[in-house]
Amino acid sequence: MYISRRDFLKFFISVSAVSSLTANAISVSALSDTLLSPLPNIDIGGIIRPPGALIEKAFRARCISCGVCVNVCHVMKYNSIAVVGIRDLRNFGTPYVKDMRDFPCALCMECPRHCPTGALQEIEKEKVAMGMALIDFGLCFGWNGDVCLSCSKACPMGARIFDFYHGLWGNQPYINENCVGCGLCVKYCPLGGSAVKVITRGQYEKVKTEYLIGFKNLLEMQAEDRYNIVYSRNLPEILARGRLIEREYR
Amino acid sequence: MKIAILRRFVLLSIMILFFLQFFKVKALVGSLSGSVAVWSLTFIDIFAYFETLLATREFSQQALLSVIPLIMIYLIFGRAFCGWVCPMDFLFEIINKARKWQKMKIRISPRIGYILAFLFLAASFFTEIPIFSNYLSHLTNFFRMLSSGIFLSINLPADKTIFYFSGGIIILLLMLEFFLPRLWCKVLCPLGKTYGLFNKVSLLKLKVEEGRCLHCNACEQLCYMDVGIASTNKSILHDTNCIYCGRCLEGCSEKIIKMKLR
Repeated sequence: MYISRRDFLKFFISVSAVSSLTANAISVSALSDTLLSPLPNIDIGGIIRPPGALIEKAFRARCISCGVCVNVCHVMKYNSIAVVGIRDLRNFGTPYVKDMRDFPCALCMECPRHCPTGALQEIEKEKVAMGMALIDFGLCFGWNGDVCLSCSKACPMGARIFDFYHGLWGNQPYINENCVGCGLCVKYCPLGGSAVKVITRGQYEKVKTEYLIGFKNLLEMQAEDRYNIVYSRNLPEILARGRLIEREYR
Repeated sequence: MKIAILRRFVLLSIMILFFLQFFKVKALVGSLSGSVAVWSLTFIDIFAYFETLLATREFSQQALLSVIPLIMIYLIFGRAFCGWVCPMDFLFEIINKARKWQKMKIRISPRIGYILAFLFLAASFFTEIPIFSNYLSHLTNFFRMLSSGIFLSINLPADKTIFYFSGGIIILLLMLEFFLPRLWCKVLCPLGKTYGLFNKVSLLKLKVEEGRCLHCNACEQLCYMDVGIASTNKSILHDTNCIYCGRCLEGCSEKIIKMKLR
């Protein structure tokens, strides 16, 4: 039986999580699973709507799948909007941002301006809520021994969204809840498969507490433990990912 | 032949305008069920408007602004959309010409179409999704097939399933046309039924000069939509099925049928 490193890690982490819950013992292994954000376990199959979309039910009722937003996005040369296929019959024919790694939303705000039914409402860039970008602290260069900050440079909102924590390796990025979810950071993350993920707002509400606890633990961690985790586990994974041609993440 | 050429010229020019969007020209963006003209004017299909109105159960200003220009157009030209702009009309005509045998004559009451349209409206009211325009509309599916096919071929994000689904719907309609000519246009299509209601009040009308008709029945032989042109003995036609294709004008030996803006 072939067990990939990822599966093995997942197994290892789940076992250590259970043990840490039961025994409540603090060891490096227990710390390592608190450092690991829940990101790898989040289902990213959710539908991320174009900017200015109404909430799901109202959007579905308004959208007549005329294809204006898809083609407007093509005319603006961003190509980020695609149409939901038969994998989700309820949302069939409605637009979504398909591939944020290669075609993120540039927030040109042309699709809400031209939506003929008002399913996409014209709003300001800052109030867009397409989704929420989460940094995977186990994979991010900034949190693991480098000064990268590519995501914050790509972000169209800049300092409104990014908080910086001065840590062991200079400024380390953190995306706060003002994030509009355009996905530009996902594209410009240099890691193979991107250390940033965009999930829908609904999903974010579900994983929020878990993610924030993980982040708090990361900040409070002793320098010695951080070094241990970064050099023994995170960096090998990052290096391995760097060689990946086919990206795993969206 | 004049009208047939003009008709195809109108269709071709509109299709070219729509096709230019794939070359990033902002002339006419979207599809025939909803579009943006010259990057400022938005249009939506009337039936789709009623569907969203029922699905949302609330009034939308943006949608109303998009549908008003089209209502004005239909008040002038009636159901001319079906004969002059709809791409399926062109495909159906090709199939009609390719078919060697005599077409089957099946009489199905066009009223079934109204029931079907009503059912679609009721379905979109209860499911809160515009059912017909999202899934089955030939206009949506035609353009969805076109755009997703083009995007897939140049490696832009698009779903393959969308391409197969939309292509499947179009092929189904063409097969339907092959066996039952114009059943879709005459009876089933809810869009055509909605536009047909405008025929009652539209300015564009077919006029037959009274007293000069020889009752050769050439016009009704040529008519795609089974409109009783000569047999109704009316000087002005109000039939909801007329798509103003102008074939009767050409077929008439006495040239007494005229298409006129009243």
